[in-house]
Amino acid sequence: MSFACLVLAVVMLISIVVCVQYQVVGRYVFNNTPTWAEGLALQLVLYVTALGVAVGVRDAGHIGMESMIGLLPESWRLKLEILIHAFVGLFGGIMAWSGWGWTVMKWSDPKPMLGVPVGVDYLALVVAGVLIVMFSLEHVIALLRDEEVVPAWN
Amino acid sequence: MELTILAVAFTVLLLLGIPVAFSIGLASIATVLYAGLPVAVVFQKMVGGMQIFSFLAIPFFVFAGELMLYGGVADRIVRFANSLVGHVRGGLGMSNVIGCTLFGGVAGSALADVTAMGSVMIPLMKKEGYDADYAVNVTTHASLVGVLMPTSHNLIIFTLATTGIASVSVFSLILGALIPALLLTLCNLAAAYYVAVKRGYPTRGAFKGWGEVLRAFGAALPGLMIVVIILVGILSGVFTATESAATAVFWALLVTGIVYRSLSWKDFLTACAKACKTTGVVLLLIGISSAFGYFMAMYEVPQKTGELMQSVTSNPLVIFFLINLLLFILGTFLDMAATILVCTPIFLPIAMQFGMDPVQFGVVMLINCALGLNTPPVGVTQFVGCAIGGISVGQVMKSILPFYGALATCLMLVTYVPAFSLWLPSLFK
Repeated sequence: MSFACLVLAVVMLISIVVCVQYQVVGRYVFNNTPTWAEGLALQLVLYVTALGVAVGVRDAGHIGMESMIGLLPESWRLKLEILIHAFVGLFGGIMAWSGWGWTVMKWSDPKPMLGVPVGVDYLALVVAGVLIVMFSLEHVIALLRDEEVVPAWN
Repeated sequence: MELTILAVAFTVLLLLGIPVAFSIGLASIATVLYAGLPVAVVFQKMVGGMQIFSFLAIPFFVFAGELMLYGGVADRIVRFANSLVGHVRGGLGMSNVIGCTLFGGVAGSALADVTAMGSVMIPLMKKEGYDADYAVNVTTHASLVGVLMPTSHNLIIFTLATTGIASVSVFSLILGALIPALLLTLCNLAAAYYVAVKRGYPTRGAFKGWGEVLRAFGAALPGLMIVVIILVGILSGVFTATESAATAVFWALLVTGIVYRSLSWKDFLTACAKACKTTGVVLLLIGISSAFGYFMAMYEVPQKTGELMQSVTSNPLVIFFLINLLLFILGTFLDMAATILVCTPIFLPIAMQFGMDPVQFGVVMLINCALGLNTPPVGVTQFVGCAIGGISVGQVMKSILPFYGALATCLMLVTYVPAFSLWLPSLFK
């Protein structure tokens, strides 16, 4: 699952680079700046971020002050780790719920340069939020069962 | 009261060990709930903060840096630096500083720099009889220059953080950071030389002549060209900063995949995957920080902090020192991007009120954050350096003073002499 997210994110990241490069080529070679390239790049970067954030949650890639955990006794450490994942999941849940509200509300507003609804921007929040909830649940379950979550791709 | 909730919730969540971006997000949501505003505001600000074109430069610079890490650029830069200064006392230490500076320009990140250069230089120095703590300290400090280089995504993060406070162009910040980067390198060279002489490290071999230097430079040139492309591209107006960053990705692919032929398909995929993950982590932080910044402005945090500082002193020199001190302390706990995003909205208005230019403030902030990368408890660059050198952070800290001295000297010069950061951008106005 996280592997699939990462593959999709990689494809989109490369597309963004190509979009922006095409904008330069369009301007100097064809004398015609494509207006959709910038809009598409900005649209895709939201989704790369959404997927990257979710994979970061799964592979424990987010930056925090983990050094504090090491100071606690063993029995507390497990509880705290579960609490951390629960908070991360809570944020993901609120993000998905609120993002869905925006998506529905903005679905009928088209974007100026791209012709897709503004709601598509907020749909990225739903994608990220749902994935974050899933991946933090996976961590909580793994902790309870005393298992390790192995990063998909390193 | 809302402000207390925002500050306390953020601190408590952070101390619990919840990642910075999520701590900021949850603290903002708690504040919004207390104030009776809709939670949707937080996410509206978040998406809004991510829809800026110059924002795209960040994933591009991260991507280019990842590619350069795998592509054999580091070895060639080491050879060049060695041919140049390898023969003086503590020669490997000196060539390490020069090598890290150059690779910092290629990768634009202290972490990539210490990973690439450290894994070449630290074992080499140990083999040649240098102490491990010296090898690690030289590498980790020299790598910090990477955050000031034109390829640094932290420069872009700072310009985004100034949105709504001052108008700072990526262009003038890139130029403004160049001379301070050079200054930092010189300070590092002085520290490396001082320790080498004090410990009596031997001189090794003779100067091999300029022919050898030129040959080694030629081999390293395609990698180094990335800085030239960005600078010339932006200066001449051919590219915007974002487009130059996308070009940097293509150039990195060209150099590592075709010119040096050292990037395998598997390395390429790993670089892509790591770039996506870093992009997610950094961009979420930026998005959520724009919500945080909005609340801080709403509850007048900058004004209140400013008044507090003014009640202590009204001397600008002392105020600048206090700002440096606070940035340094926060920087030791928080990650670089987080420090920039959280502190800029608070301290930039104060610094500007006391006559500091936003570009100069940006450079000061970046050097402070860099210092934090080499300071426990959260010193990412230092961790990596120690892991490569096979020694503990404690051992490294025992002999770190000359290197802190070098950084502090550079920081003070940039803080109190505006010309270091403002002269170069002023030439192109």
